[in-house]
Amino acid sequence: MSALLSLSGLNRRFGGLAAVSDFSLALESGIVTALVGPNGAGKTTIFNLVTGNLRADSGQILLHDKPIIGLSPHRIARLGIARSFQDLRLFGHMSVLDNVRAATEPTSWFWQAGGAAARQQRRERVETALERTGLSGLTQARAIDLAYAERKFLSMARIIATGARIWLLDEPASGLDPRSRAQFVDLLRSATAEGVTVCLIEHNLDIVTEVADRIAFLDQGRKLAEGEPADIMQDKALAAIYFGDRT
Amino acid sequence: MIAYLVNLATLTTIFAVLATSLNILIGYGGIFSIAQAVFFGVGAYAAAQVALHVTPDLLVASAAGAGAAALLSICLALPALRVRDEYFVIASLGLQMLAVTVFTEATPITGGFGGLVGIPPASLLGLPLTDPNAMLAACLGFLVLVLVLTRVLMRGSFGRSLMAIRDNDTAAEALGKNVMVLKTLAVMLGCAYAGIGGALYSAQMQFINVESFTLDQSVLIMAMVIIGGTGTLIGPLVGTVLILLLPAALSFIPGIPPTEIGVVQQMIYGLVMTLLMIFRPGGLVTLRTRRQ
Amino acid sequence: MLFAQLVVAGIQTGLLYALTAAGFAIIFGATRIFHVAQGAAFALAGYAFLMSNAAGLAWPLAALLAVVVAVAFGVGMERWVYRPIQRHEASFFTVFVASFGVTIIAQSLIEVSFGRGFVTLSTPLTQARPLLPGLYVAPVFWIALAVTAALFLGLAVFLRFTRAGIGLRALSESPELLRSYGLSSSRLSVLAFAIGSALCVPGAILTAAVTGLQPSIGAHVMLISLAATIVGGIGSVSGAACGGLLLGIAENLSITLLNTQWSEAASFIVLFAFILLRPRGLFGLASTR
Ligand SMILES: Nc1ncnc2c1ncn2[C@@H]1O[C@H](COP(=O)(O)OP(=O)(O)OP(=O)(O)O)[C@@H](O)[C@H]1O
Ligand SMILES: [Mg+2]
Repeated sequence: MSALLSLSGLNRRFGGLAAVSDFSLALESGIVTALVGPNGAGKTTIFNLVTGNLRADSGQILLHDKPIIGLSPHRIARLGIARSFQDLRLFGHMSVLDNVRAATEPTSWFWQAGGAAARQQRRERVETALERTGLSGLTQARAIDLAYAERKFLSMARIIATGARIWLLDEPASGLDPRSRAQFVDLLRSATAEGVTVCLIEHNLDIVTEVADRIAFLDQGRKLAEGEPADIMQDKALAAIYFGDRT
Repeated sequence: MIAYLVNLATLTTIFAVLATSLNILIGYGGIFSIAQAVFFGVGAYAAAQVALHVTPDLLVASAAGAGAAALLSICLALPALRVRDEYFVIASLGLQMLAVTVFTEATPITGGFGGLVGIPPASLLGLPLTDPNAMLAACLGFLVLVLVLTRVLMRGSFGRSLMAIRDNDTAAEALGKNVMVLKTLAVMLGCAYAGIGGALYSAQMQFINVESFTLDQSVLIMAMVIIGGTGTLIGPLVGTVLILLLPAALSFIPGIPPTEIGVVQQMIYGLVMTLLMIFRPGGLVTLRTRRQ
Repeated sequence: MLFAQLVVAGIQTGLLYALTAAGFAIIFGATRIFHVAQGAAFALAGYAFLMSNAAGLAWPLAALLAVVVAVAFGVGMERWVYRPIQRHEASFFTVFVASFGVTIIAQSLIEVSFGRGFVTLSTPLTQARPLLPGLYVAPVFWIALAVTAALFLGLAVFLRFTRAGIGLRALSESPELLRSYGLSSSRLSVLAFAIGSALCVPGAILTAAVTGLQPSIGAHVMLISLAATIVGGIGSVSGAACGGLLLGIAENLSITLLNTQWSEAASFIVLFAFILLRPRGLFGLASTR
């Protein structure tokens, strides 16, 4: 079976800096892949390349074996790739409910297609998303008035509500307290149980070992290793890079 | 006295349409234009031409005004799609200056500096609107239409998408919003409203010239929206009433010579805008934050 | 010779625009605040100079007073308007509207205090003398040239060699630094406002002497410095200076080609084209979204 989303030979430079070099990765359906690496390794840049926010200098990105490079971000999103942002980017002055509803309404016209049936379906998606993230009680609060963990979960709720089958999550659990973190892990588990494919950027190695099926290790734009969590975690050389001991 | 009040009420209604039109751009779309008087003017000239040469029917004239303004709104949509906030404000300022020149020089259409005179009294579906009260009622009718349409659209997915783009356009794109289409539609809608305002204005005044479509007018409309409250339905209405009543209120205060009322009025709304931005940036009417 | 005459006049206006625009660019670069009230600082400084001079103050003292007024205005804006706003929400619109509101207040205050008409200063310095056959140049031209050159030289030295100047440039080159700079970034932003506001004083004084002042001069200067900043590239000081100079020359030359109505419009057509086609300006690094 070929991969759901496959990146091959991606390159991206910023001036003299090679942010991503010859990067390849295959995301299999229903699998959680973690991107791990020190700050500035190029993880977020890879997401930006996939979602069309940045254009790769060279390389190929295939979704269901069709190239998506060159499509604009909203088209790629409509193909079923949802992402979160490291800095969340919530719609600050809108209510929690509207933040989530907005995620279910891609059509750029004065109204949405599909009539009552589609409306009902969207409403159900919004409800599920709010329930799973524990935000059902906060629907009328503005996003900027939320507490830190609530914001993180709102960003997840938007992703759930899109109904996308591929999730790109940029440090979704950073800064969460243990209880919220457990809630997040449950959330991710139930999504993958339904066949959602996840690519996760995460610095906390405990979470990575807990949820990831595969790990790709990056440094300075290059993929240094990829494999099962157990193998990667035992690699002394990688640990040295990750924990900053480069001697 | 009654005639004066009816006239003031009609003008307030017309400016309420204008403030609502700018609110679509600033409040919902986050598109900060200081050129709304341009589209007010375009609508007014188009409607006046229709009234002079085709029919005095207010519906037809409004449709012409809205259409012309929506068509020309591409001049605003183009920079709105291409450049950042700082640049866009200046582009809209440039458009405003340019438009005043065009209005003054394009004599065949706009009557030049002298303006268009003798615009026939309007009618609505065959009923004449020569009575000021009837005209007021017609204008109120248009305002209600505009408000209802605004509420329906802004409460619906279109408004949500627009506000999402206003708050964070990258995130909106990542959720599948086509920023380009949505912004263009918002600009066209807002400018079409302004065109309707222009059509009503030309029918009410029966005379229009470039003086009504200058930067000062744009700033006045902006003040109405900002003081009243951006991104709410009633905010701009409150702002309109306050700003239009201000000169009348000032004239009752002893010690201000009538020639200085304009200046004092400007000073007051400059001051109110600045103070609001410091203490209550959402304007007088803000959405309450409901946090249980 | 008309052409040469207009170029000379254009350079003279352009130099004054250049200084004001450079002030605007310094403020924007260091603080990311779109300080449209820079025009108001210009007008206030000009009126302060004219009125105190007319009241019998010797001109160097009057000029000093103008500097004090401009700097106090700029620093006051930073302290009482921008800083409170940025404490709760630093959105571009909020800052812009507040600044715009202050411009309106300043203009109407001037109108109330000094009337709507032109006020001017009569001085022998503005009487033109023949330089070449057919080319008349007033001493004030050389003054403008010398003052501008001296100030830009001083500015260049300051930005390059002093700690504070290097700090300002660092802020303008990487906005992220603004956040991680901690305490002294607020002191630097006061400094940027002081310098930026002071830079519009020579222009204000010379304009008062050459063409006279009227209340709406602030709005006009604001438009020109914004335009110069765009043409030069937002945030680039040397770009703003060149932009100002170019605009001054273009404004004067276009009078020969077009009537006055269209010459102002022409500059905005150029500006519009710049924004659409080359938003990063001639020198700037900022780009479209
Ligand atoms: N738009 C851009 N322009 C210039 N340089 C960029 C841009 N985006 C990223 N970079 C640079 O590319 C490198 C990789 O950045 P990236 O954000 O992908 O790192 P990251 O792995 O996500 O790091 P972190 O863990 O800190 O989020 C960094 O050195 C960054 O400074
Ligand atoms: Mg990152």
